[in-house]
Amino acid sequence: MSVQSQAATVRAAEQARPTRRGRLSEGARAERRLGWLLCAPAVIVMIAVTAYPIAYAVYLSLERYNLEIPSAVKFVGLSNYGAVLGSWYWWHALIVTLIITVASVAIELVLGMLLALLMHRTIFGRNTVRTSALIPYGIVTVAAAYSWFFAWTPGTGYLSALTGSSAPLSHTGQAIAVIILAEVWKTTPFMALLLLAGLSLVPEDLQRAAKVDGATAWQRFVRITLPLMKPAILVALLFRTLDAFRIFDNIYILTKGGNSTGSVSILGYDNLFGALNLGIGSAISILIFICVAIIAVLFIKGFGTAAPGTDTGRR
Amino acid sequence: MARPDTGKKVGWGAANTIAVALTLIPVLWIVSLSFKTPAGILDATFWPKQWTWSNYSSILQSSQFIRPLLNSIGIGVIATVIAVLLASMAAYAVARLAFPGKQVLIGMALLIAMFPAISLVTPMFNIERALGLFDTWPGLIIPYVAFGLPLGIYILSAFFREIPWELEKAAKMDGATPFQAFTKVIAPLAAPGMVTTAILVFLFCWNEFLFAISLTSTISARTAPAALAFFSGSSQFTSPTGPISAAAVVITIPIIIFVLFFQRRIVAGLTSGAVKG
Amino acid sequence: MRAESDRVRHRVAVLVGAALAASGLAACGTNSGGAGPVTLNYYIYPDTSGATDQAVASCTKQSHGKYTISYQQLPTASDGQRLQLVRRLAAHDNTIDIMGLDVTWEAEFAQAGWLLPWTGSNKRQAEHDTLKPMLETATWKGKLYAVPDNTNTQLLWYRSDLVKTPPKTWTEMIDDSIKLAKQGKPHLIEIQGAQYEGATVWFNTMLASAGGSVLTPDAAHVSLGKPAIKALTIMKRLATSVAADPSLDVQQENDNRLAMEGGTAAFQLNYPFVYPSMKADNPKMFKSFKWAPYPEVIPGQPAHVTIGGIDLGVSSYSRYPKLAFQAALCLRNRANQLRGALVGGVPPTIISLYSDPKLFGGYPFHADILKELENASVRPKTPLYQVVSINISHLVSPPAGINAKSTEKQMVSQINNALQSKGLIP
Repeated sequence: MSVQSQAATVRAAEQARPTRRGRLSEGARAERRLGWLLCAPAVIVMIAVTAYPIAYAVYLSLERYNLEIPSAVKFVGLSNYGAVLGSWYWWHALIVTLIITVASVAIELVLGMLLALLMHRTIFGRNTVRTSALIPYGIVTVAAAYSWFFAWTPGTGYLSALTGSSAPLSHTGQAIAVIILAEVWKTTPFMALLLLAGLSLVPEDLQRAAKVDGATAWQRFVRITLPLMKPAILVALLFRTLDAFRIFDNIYILTKGGNSTGSVSILGYDNLFGALNLGIGSAISILIFICVAIIAVLFIKGFGTAAPGTDTGRR
Repeated sequence: MARPDTGKKVGWGAANTIAVALTLIPVLWIVSLSFKTPAGILDATFWPKQWTWSNYSSILQSSQFIRPLLNSIGIGVIATVIAVLLASMAAYAVARLAFPGKQVLIGMALLIAMFPAISLVTPMFNIERALGLFDTWPGLIIPYVAFGLPLGIYILSAFFREIPWELEKAAKMDGATPFQAFTKVIAPLAAPGMVTTAILVFLFCWNEFLFAISLTSTISARTAPAALAFFSGSSQFTSPTGPISAAAVVITIPIIIFVLFFQRRIVAGLTSGAVKG
Repeated sequence: MRAESDRVRHRVAVLVGAALAASGLAACGTNSGGAGPVTLNYYIYPDTSGATDQAVASCTKQSHGKYTISYQQLPTASDGQRLQLVRRLAAHDNTIDIMGLDVTWEAEFAQAGWLLPWTGSNKRQAEHDTLKPMLETATWKGKLYAVPDNTNTQLLWYRSDLVKTPPKTWTEMIDDSIKLAKQGKPHLIEIQGAQYEGATVWFNTMLASAGGSVLTPDAAHVSLGKPAIKALTIMKRLATSVAADPSLDVQQENDNRLAMEGGTAAFQLNYPFVYPSMKADNPKMFKSFKWAPYPEVIPGQPAHVTIGGIDLGVSSYSRYPKLAFQAALCLRNRANQLRGALVGGVPPTIISLYSDPKLFGGYPFHADILKELENASVRPKTPLYQVVSINISHLVSPPAGINAKSTEKQMVSQINNALQSKGLIP
């Protein structure tokens, strides 16, 4: 096993000691040390930056705390959560968020896969396709959102003119469709890039062998490519869904959350920064986090051994 | 290999054109808006009836824009380099080594990636003010590294898992030192993953708005997306469509250069013959 | 050995981080005081006209070396400005001296203890020759907390080639629009219907013009009632008639301006910034572009248009409050306000300026504006204004969804909840 070659090098430099029952071998201990050492800088940075803020946010959610009246802070336990969960605003925002998330991620997965295949396999113009495919993701979100806003404004926009001077942003259903369009256009490159990375790991020989055996392109795709891409698909889906659930910028600029198009992040933003109600705002944030965590767990369970950190690290 | 027949060429050409068109038409709309006069915004036409450079000249002459652009580039590059470095080390360990606490690390990274940033802004603001990091480059670099690491660790560990380590062993058996084995055999295979991670982390820093606007107060550390919030039109009610579009175009040019430069390395693929099945 | 090189790399990373942090700390030591004139930091919205820069320069000169005013920009959007200020004031930031406050923030900031009250001769100078409604916006619990700088209010703008005489009431205006529509002419009435502060302003204007108010004078209870129902009925009538712009639900002031300049509208309720804009963008239409007082709700009773604008306040945590008061008074003095009006396009708060011929060139509508300003209404004065406003805007936008009686009931209960800090805001 390859890992042993690493451990063997370490062992060779020291006096080999016979392993006793219950005691780790030299090699295993060295491997542990190396593992911790390599992870240490990343862990230190992550903890140092986020430990206090996350703990503080959780603590805030248990208090009644208005930023302008710091003296009137009171510990109220879970009553903020009760207020949020009992409020129709929360459930409405949650439904809107779920609709936007599911729709945009599903579309992005399909389009992203198509784009990744194109970037990987097109027989000419590869550089052009790859570069132009990534540009939407590189345009600052706020600027892109403004461009969509003006494109759909009757009288000033080309898209609105195409659809007969309609004003889709003024109607809930159509506005949500426009928001999904803006999201999909912006982040499909993200999916495509990750899926492309996964695609590149599928060995050509397998494909060729299957072709020789008479498999069609579709069969090759479904039976060989997709299963081998599972880890990449998981990472792409996971991170994209987590981000899609917390959508904010596009909605804020396109409709400001009006016409019932507000997401849970906009709700949290309004309560945290608009009303300066740190207790309720933090409770909303924690609830968003819990929803997102549930989604993450579902994905990881669903993808099983494709998850990083699962013990197929030894080959 | 036989020359690909015209039918295939046409097919791929059509697919290319559709993909490029769909991604670039909205970009061209932004470019068009950036050349329109304030009166021209009213045309429902795609291209301006009257072209003007005034949007570009007004932003390029303003230090309120040039400096944030430089901040974005500097902060983005530094944060990306540090994040990719730290993530590579951690991902290597996660993918190849056995040590207790691996699941905890993965879980922690995911936790950080999932936590809504809006509730972290105020405590981070307080900490940075206390430490004197408010409105400085490190004040943004450090949070960006922390929030870029989860994505980096996940992508790279997924990547590292797929690398066949027998190659390294084979190279060593052929007499290469561990270092040579790493640089000549493993690193090229790891490169696509690292480049992909670098692009995504850089674009995350580039696009990030919430921390940029909350943890800075002057142009000494403000980045480009936050600077857009300070653009104003001819009156307090006029939204500065022209300048914002011009700024968006200018901000995107480094991205195009960056991507052009790196996209060749995104996909290297496994060298044929190195691995069987 | 790999482990060794990792440790070395790790140490290098730590050193680099420390170096960066150190340079950051060094860069942060700007306002260290010591020798030299005092620097007063003036936080206000970004002004591309140059009027603010000139005001800052002239006031620095006038101090004869006592202080230098430094113009620090806040984000363009009002919400963004408030967030930046609130975050730093809550952290007791002592680098803020003078702030440009939107007229709705004074109650909130004063109640939180972030503003210093104006007393003695400062107060007298602030109140002299200043518009009363603006002073009202800067007053909380009987004390003056800011000095009015500039103001704003809406007028009725119309096209004289479509309507010979401007309508005097809302009912007339909507009827005129329907008539124009029947003739196939441009007929839309442009008003801000998006779910934001502008919708609250519209509602507040209609409500005040109908003789009502959102809160009782002690700001402790909700008022509303019959005047609110009347106001909501008119808003609904507009939204469901042919006069409504198809994009009404997402329109803000700028969108109204664009629609008018684009030729689809006959009437517009908007701020005076549309006047120089129309002159520049559509000179042909400008010839028939006229203004009139805001339409009445109750025939015979002039409308009470909601007042907007900026007051200058001094932060409680400022290190140089005495100098800050002086600087603030200078920044809003007669000369600077005149410049702000002519170059910056923001109406002044000094009453006598409205009869100064220098103002007339850029402000042909000065007489109408002054009349409206003297009759203006203010938005509800309460520290919880943001919450109240969000609740109101969510109930009146989209305007077509208003049901006068039930919307009024909902508004009463939601604002009551808001005043007791109960529950969420949408």
